[in-house]
Amino acid sequence: MRLGRYELTLEPRPARPAIFTALTAVVAILLALALSSFLFLSSDTRLIDAYRAVFSYAFFNPHGVLATVHRSIYLLFCTYAFLVPFRAGLWNIGLPGQVYAGGLAAFAVPFVLRTHNPQTLALPPGLLIVLMIAAAAAAGAATGGFAGLLRAKLQVNEILVTMMLNSILFWLVAYMIKEGGPFMSATGEGESFGLPSSLHAPLLLGVPVTAVLALCVAVLLDLLFAKTALGYRIRAFGENPAAARYGGIIPVALSLLVFLLGGAFAALAGYHYFAAVPGVYKIPGNYGYYGDLGFYGIIAALIARGSSLGAVPIVVLFAGLSVGARFAQGELRLPFGVDYALLGLLMMTFVASHVLYHFRFGWRRIPSEALQPVPTELPRG
Amino acid sequence: MSPPDLAPTEPILAARGITKRFPGVLALDHVDLEIQAGEIHAVLGQNGAGKTTLMNILFGLLQPDEGALYLREQRIRFRSPHDALARGIGMVHQTRRLVSAHTVLENIALGHPRTRGFLNLRSTRLEVEALGNRYGFTVPLGARVWQLSEGERQWVEILKALYRGAEILILDEPTAALTPPEVKTLLAGLQTLVRDHGVTVLLVTHKLPIVMAVSHRVTVLRSGRVVARLRTADAAEESLVQHMIGRDIAFRTMNRSAEMGRPLLQVEQLSAFNDKGLLALRGVSFSLREGEVLGVAGVTGNGQEELAQVLAGLRPAASGRVRLDGRDVTRLSPLQRWRMGVGYIPAERIEVASIATFSLVENTALNYHFDPAFIRRGLLDNAGLEQLTQRIVTTYNVKAPSQYARAQHLSGGNLQKLILGRVLSRNPRLLIAHLPTQGLDVEAAAFVRATLVEATAEGAAVLLISEDLDEILSLSDWVAPIYEGRFGAIIPRAEAGAETVGAMMAGVGMKEAGVR
Repeated sequence: MRLGRYELTLEPRPARPAIFTALTAVVAILLALALSSFLFLSSDTRLIDAYRAVFSYAFFNPHGVLATVHRSIYLLFCTYAFLVPFRAGLWNIGLPGQVYAGGLAAFAVPFVLRTHNPQTLALPPGLLIVLMIAAAAAAGAATGGFAGLLRAKLQVNEILVTMMLNSILFWLVAYMIKEGGPFMSATGEGESFGLPSSLHAPLLLGVPVTAVLALCVAVLLDLLFAKTALGYRIRAFGENPAAARYGGIIPVALSLLVFLLGGAFAALAGYHYFAAVPGVYKIPGNYGYYGDLGFYGIIAALIARGSSLGAVPIVVLFAGLSVGARFAQGELRLPFGVDYALLGLLMMTFVASHVLYHFRFGWRRIPSEALQPVPTELPRG
Repeated sequence: MSPPDLAPTEPILAARGITKRFPGVLALDHVDLEIQAGEIHAVLGQNGAGKTTLMNILFGLLQPDEGALYLREQRIRFRSPHDALARGIGMVHQTRRLVSAHTVLENIALGHPRTRGFLNLRSTRLEVEALGNRYGFTVPLGARVWQLSEGERQWVEILKALYRGAEILILDEPTAALTPPEVKTLLAGLQTLVRDHGVTVLLVTHKLPIVMAVSHRVTVLRSGRVVARLRTADAAEESLVQHMIGRDIAFRTMNRSAEMGRPLLQVEQLSAFNDKGLLALRGVSFSLREGEVLGVAGVTGNGQEELAQVLAGLRPAASGRVRLDGRDVTRLSPLQRWRMGVGYIPAERIEVASIATFSLVENTALNYHFDPAFIRRGLLDNAGLEQLTQRIVTTYNVKAPSQYARAQHLSGGNLQKLILGRVLSRNPRLLIAHLPTQGLDVEAAAFVRATLVEATAEGAAVLLISEDLDEILSLSDWVAPIYEGRFGAIIPRAEAGAETVGAMMAGVGMKEAGVR
């Protein structure tokens, strides 16, 4: 951009010290919080009280902390679901659909085995829980793999396919749990049957086992990409598919594999929320809310720049702020949707900080000879 | 066809003393070009001779460093293609510049001065139809561009230029992407435009048969200089070839042992399609022994890329067979071929042979991530790869800040040395080297050539694909000029003269479908 005798440009930033990464993240968070003051203006409370309500509930209130943990686990799986295909250069936008597929498959196990009635347990509950997790992962993998296969074999855009699958699976869940669907609860309409207590995922220190799984995967995924041959192939394919093919990597197999993995992770998120969070243990009528929440996994993976461990603090922040803002909304009569607005602001400041992380503003004087009008010679006569 | 007035009249368009420098390269060196009204003027030259640079200057895309342009003997200066179009000069680029989702008519209207603001497609349609009728060709105006063949798209661009009022048409390698019947149609159409409508055509090509078939006069460029300016009728093909490739070829035959090993590679009637679905490789056969070099000489775009890719397993063969060590490998994957000892150095060292954002070590892994020697329980042996990279960096004198520097920070020559070293470190039995010295400085190029010779001494068979006749003649045991996907011949080095090979590279003595 030219301003008088000066020129303003965006220039790539050459050296990026590590401290800078953390600093930009902190600035982004503070900026988002500052901007969110506008959301709180309409309430009668002082700004500082509004922030205190959000944070104290999310990170210090016993109920709030548990809600934050449950939501973090859910978002972490969604993050992995996006992150693995993303490292291979592919975009898995099908998180909600894969979440639903996971939830449906997990509930299909007790339904098919006719064990949702506690009196007729045919198999040991431990085995059934493992079966539910496996079924969820398999269903998510199949949903993701469908997109991966179309992408690999027919070059169908994976973004379109996964988006469409979201819609299909959303309505499939509605069919299953509402208006007399097979999974409909006997008592109330609009939600699924509840899991018998023997099929609730076991708790460790009040937290479902899925937390252990989520944290292990965080470590394993970073190791996969840093150390293993498979991780190398995924990264190589993501950075330069032509070079990967030249180096003997088979694009079809790789695209399919990352989508199988991604779909399985999203399905585990679905399993977690519908079958492992205390107090839920069913597919609730507002399952669409959790599907949409899954998209924050995309943002977390992008902000963490593809690192699964790096995504953990970001996910916890997202989870805490959304839980805390939802609480503050009720408590302080804040406008409806303040939780999503806060997440949205955070997302925007993070994305903006990314640009400033990679670029800086250049401000230089234009040399005077360059400003002179270009001489033109008109034809004689 | 009546030849136009070839008496020294005033040229309609002239470039005088044009010099253009790019960093490190003198692209054009005091070039003079004079085009008479109503002629087809061919500009002939090999890749890198400066043809496209010159055309870009004539069309206002580039500014000359020295020299000037004259239109009807009046000095002009084009600040952009817009100025050139306003003066009646239209250009049809080598690659299409159309919006493929739009209709032909919309594309023709796009950018026309009269269609700024409000778009009146109905009046445009009438005008374009009238124009088409006048020039005697029809283009389906309502069709979307993606539905058209490559030849039809070219006509859209020509029509678009004419609609802008172009009286001088510049066509850059117009036959490059066309099928033989389309070439025939194009050339006949151009002749009609020139003969009946007074359009002047400037035809840029490296294909001699096309020059001979349609042009009135020809200007030959070599290394940025005009080396000949002739009436086509007076020009002999052989002399044009000589002008094109030059007579200053220095032979620096490498000293090599003449002992040849066992037969390694047999290629029978191999054909392949290019990315556009045209048959780019048309029935090539040869065999290669251990320790032997076959030099495939040709101007880029004559099927070399496809040949290399089919042999590396990156492109399926349309027909024919490839045998390595007697085993049919035609359908094997790239990975299986790497394991069998096929090494491939692609021409695109940045796009295909390396990963810009990866470190040198990670780039080394590109040819080793499948090698059991470098994998322990699924983990890549990073220490081993580091050692290997260090060895390549030292042996091949790769200048890099560190092994963990990104490949994108390497110069072209150093990157090429890294790739060469990496591929050769696998001790390939068959090495496919495509343009291995392209863009390298003299020293790096000499090093790469010496390394290729060393590899043959250790028993590797080398398929060297190059545009550099000098390089081919100094390294190869057999020379195969390639033109339009066919080998002109396979000549032993001792019998391969620069003129014969050069002529075959330009298509002399070979059938060009659609021209003769």
